[in-house]
Amino acid sequence: MNWRLLCREWKRIATQPIYIFCMVIAPLFCYFFFTSLMKEGLPENLPMGLVDEDHTTTTRNLARNLDAFQMSDITQEFANVTDARKAMQRGEIYGFYLIPHGTTKQAQLQRVPTVSFYTNYSYLVAGSLLYRDMRMMSELASGAASRTVLYAKGATERQAMAYLQPIVIDMHAVGNPWLNYNVYLSNIIIPGMLGIFIFMTTVYSLGTELKFNTSDELMAESNNSIIVALSTKLLPQTIIFLLMGSIYVLLLYGYLHFPCNCGIPRMWSVMALFVLACQGFGVFMFTMLPTLRMGLSFASLWGVISFSISGMSFPVMAMHPILQGVSLLFPLRHYYLLYVNSALDGYALANAWPYVLAMIGFMMLPIPFLGRLKKVMNTYAYEP
Amino acid sequence: MFNIKQAFSDFNYIFVEELKTIIRDKGVIIFFFLVPLGYPLLYTFIYTNEVVREVPIAVVDNCRSAQSREYLRHLDASPDVKIISYCANITEAKSLIKHRDAYGVVSIPRDFSEKLNRGEQVYVSAFADMSGMLYYKSVLTANTNVSLAMNADIKVKRSGGTTAQQDQVAEHPIQYEEVSIYNPQNGFATFLIPAVLILIIQQTLLLGVGMAAGTAREHNRFRNLVPVERHHRGLLRIVLGKGMAYLLVYIPLSVYILGIIPHLFHLNQIGNPWNIALFIMPFLIASVLFAMTVSAFVRHREMCIMLIVFTSVPLLFISGLSWPGSAVPEAWKAISYIFPSSFGINGFVAINNMGAELGDVQHDWYMLWVQAFIYLITTCAVYKASILRSRQRNIEAWKAEK
Repeated sequence: MNWRLLCREWKRIATQPIYIFCMVIAPLFCYFFFTSLMKEGLPENLPMGLVDEDHTTTTRNLARNLDAFQMSDITQEFANVTDARKAMQRGEIYGFYLIPHGTTKQAQLQRVPTVSFYTNYSYLVAGSLLYRDMRMMSELASGAASRTVLYAKGATERQAMAYLQPIVIDMHAVGNPWLNYNVYLSNIIIPGMLGIFIFMTTVYSLGTELKFNTSDELMAESNNSIIVALSTKLLPQTIIFLLMGSIYVLLLYGYLHFPCNCGIPRMWSVMALFVLACQGFGVFMFTMLPTLRMGLSFASLWGVISFSISGMSFPVMAMHPILQGVSLLFPLRHYYLLYVNSALDGYALANAWPYVLAMIGFMMLPIPFLGRLKKVMNTYAYEP
Repeated sequence: MFNIKQAFSDFNYIFVEELKTIIRDKGVIIFFFLVPLGYPLLYTFIYTNEVVREVPIAVVDNCRSAQSREYLRHLDASPDVKIISYCANITEAKSLIKHRDAYGVVSIPRDFSEKLNRGEQVYVSAFADMSGMLYYKSVLTANTNVSLAMNADIKVKRSGGTTAQQDQVAEHPIQYEEVSIYNPQNGFATFLIPAVLILIIQQTLLLGVGMAAGTAREHNRFRNLVPVERHHRGLLRIVLGKGMAYLLVYIPLSVYILGIIPHLFHLNQIGNPWNIALFIMPFLIASVLFAMTVSAFVRHREMCIMLIVFTSVPLLFISGLSWPGSAVPEAWKAISYIFPSSFGINGFVAINNMGAELGDVQHDWYMLWVQAFIYLITTCAVYKASILRSRQRNIEAWKAEK
């Protein structure tokens, strides 16, 4: 271990604000940002509208019930559909419920009136949540009409319910019964953000050696051994990033009590694997594109695409077959699968061994290209 | 002495110089041309299938009656899920989940048909893998639809009506219809891509302008943003000259990003193009000036990448699109007002996806003009500070040489 080189590296990190920013401040900001933004877990009281053209006790009762649902909140009543649509276009409401004129009368005459609800899926999350409430309400409205008749005929409540809803779905959301979006998204977005910073810091720290003509010094100090140079250079970053990773593991599973069915230590090891994999991949990026500009562009592209292609929001199985293969080239994809396997479902790491292997592969990725990296460090000059 | 002819000639000079810088600098070319041209294609390609279909599920049929088979047959026929295995028990189904061969389990109780025939309520258990909300949604939707359809049939049978009209009343005394408005497929691309497109414009502007500023500093003897020479005199002509150059590049790019890309991928595009153009104008102006203000803080060319790229993800969440705006905490909402993208995304989505008129998004439109005005002032301020500093340094250097 070359202590002088190690000190040089620590000094660089301590004296250049960009390192402190990318390694400590920005990751901490992201941890705080995402967990506080989605603090509610499941958005409640989403604004919706009501167009009640009928104005009877029955329809008012219906509206009151809809308002009482957890997700929806009737914030505005409109005289007609056009007004409601305009409010939707202004972004004031995410959906509206339409009860046409004469609904109650027709229902009493058994003429089967139709009510409708409009959901704006341009806001997919809000739209889906509202849809659920509005559909449930519509089923209940229908049921309420039949139930009155059944009670009048002398049915008990149990008999009435069995008649109205013979088959009931008992839905279980395994691992996240609250449908908590904070659990669902923060668990992947936060490591993903850390991944971007690791890619960038790794590329930047290697690239600046060329840019400021200090690579000769680096190679001379390490007796022209690329292994010594690289490992000493990356060690301080590894330590800091592992520390930052530990903070998010403790924040998510220790402080916010997100489900962690495998225990914190195993999730910590998954995080450590991810940090090292990202570092390995970062070195690979720089070796392949040894200019600071290209290296960092590569890092940004890979880092930002990770979120989409990891499959956490839009499943990989629904993507184009080419992308299904490409997704394996992203460390975050493997992290996501390991997280689902361990924290969410509580299985042993051995069950997900291919992904562990992939992480180790990313870690080892620079090794076959060390010769090239050595040549880069010794001979390449910075080009803007 | 203020000379209008000189001012225009300086403006022209700076404008042309900046355009030359943009074309000559490889780093700027990446962010001004490569990323805006390629990234929207890549991003839209990822989401282009819009929805998940045929999510693989396992079923455990403990009843094995005609009715339970009917339920499962309907389930398998639904577009959302696909039954990949009929398991003997829950343990077997769990092992399929464990190896990620199935993403949900539906279990039919032993007394399913018995209870139905007795006229009692029966519970069908459905389990969904929560690694993605869309799996949950698929399993829930498929089961809800099948159960409601079967419930309706059962009701009709039990009520023993004689006419079709009576059957219909028994089924649903009040009918309902659901309308997915502005995104009829409930698709992911239609929902997310418009926001991403607006963000790409703002972020690449920040990166490109930041990089150009970094280069200007590095090439300059005293690491100054604005060189001290004949043409760089009037503050406003420097700011406007550079700003117009960026704007000129981004007008055709915006047409490509906001007009051609959604067209290529068949995304929602029901807005009036003139409304979109009128709305995007202040967005571009505000973004250019915002980028120029931020660029004054960039010391090295590459630093702007490290400072700006990561903000894309928080900016997407804060815009009120992916996370409902009504659920964004007030403090974060206030912070989102700093960025042109927050108003840009809301307004663009309203016009392009929902066919709103300019008047419907006037709040966003005005706010973008307010931002443009504020960032014009801040850009002038940071450029003025930079010019003063460079003059001072020149004088000092001159004194030192003497």
